[in-house]
Amino acid sequence: MRKSIQHGAKIPPMLTRSEQDRYHRQILLIGEEGQEKLKSARVVIAGAGGLGCPVATYLAVAGVGHIRIIDHDTVDRSNLNRQILFWDKDIGLAKTWSAGEKLKSINPDIEIDAVQATIDDKTAPGLVRDVDAIVDAMDNYPARYLLNHLACTFGIPLFHGAIRGFDGQVTSIIPGKTACLACIFPEAPPIEIFPVIGVTPGLIGMIQANEVIKYLLGTGELLTNRLLIWDGLRSSIETIQVERDPYCRECSHLYNDGVMREKLK
Amino acid sequence: MNVRVKAFARFREIIGSENTLQLNEGTPVIDALKTLSAGSLDFRDACFDKEGNVASHVVLMINGKRISSKDREKVVLHDGDELAVFPPVAGG
Repeated sequence: MRKSIQHGAKIPPMLTRSEQDRYHRQILLIGEEGQEKLKSARVVIAGAGGLGCPVATYLAVAGVGHIRIIDHDTVDRSNLNRQILFWDKDIGLAKTWSAGEKLKSINPDIEIDAVQATIDDKTAPGLVRDVDAIVDAMDNYPARYLLNHLACTFGIPLFHGAIRGFDGQVTSIIPGKTACLACIFPEAPPIEIFPVIGVTPGLIGMIQANEVIKYLLGTGELLTNRLLIWDGLRSSIETIQVERDPYCRECSHLYNDGVMREKLK
Repeated sequence: MNVRVKAFARFREIIGSENTLQLNEGTPVIDALKTLSAGSLDFRDACFDKEGNVASHVVLMINGKRISSKDREKVVLHDGDELAVFPPVAGG
């Protein structure tokens, strides 16, 4: 798929009549060719929390053809202020089951692969290596660094988002071309039970989803080498330039070996 | 000399979005941050670790260019510089 985005080598699936109707308003924008790119795309969303819920919802309604969403948790009442795929009736259910049910209902024309798993170094490689894009919807940096490591290892773009309170940050990473997560944040902030208002991950998750859609379509300018910072208390967005760390522990080796991905196949 | 300090996220809530500091030419970055800490214990606790070093996760930039981890103790400021301090957020 990555090659089909860049070179158009793969024949995309035809849209059904139902899909032509469902996506009519965006086909006006991206054409049937663009819609077919979304239909043939595979995206993994790591985490079904405050970020994962809006990312999954908007990628599903946009028609991303195969969405894998991963989480290990069950729905708790304290999740409901922000994790919009879960409703009061879902308390106690597995998040992946509940998310899968909603996403299939919101768009039965796509495939949802809801995986109940903890994202660690044993499970994650097999869950991310066959996708076109990885969405970082985690709530801790050790897991984020693992996703970043796998993104760099397999040459898969990583779409990072994180939030706290009214604050959020987003950046997009194309391994081998742009700053990676470890270039930008080499050290993890301390672990805490973070306060959050639901709007913050909603907004940040939608920016992440927008980035994924642009990447899959090959359109617009990605948030690469830029960190978008949302300040919800002032309703201001700033983007600051970030750059590769030539000594980065994760991605510096990519620049000495441009065929890294081929080598790993 | 005057140096503008731009704060983001939680730091912004503690010290405000921008502060202008009057410092001696060539003041190390860490001393500029200590000057801000003198006026705010909350900022000191958020920005520095127990050993008195700038906490390793805090991102520092001068005029939009990131200061690498190995340089952060020795980089100095000049008149008109903008120092940005940014604590990455972690939640999801």
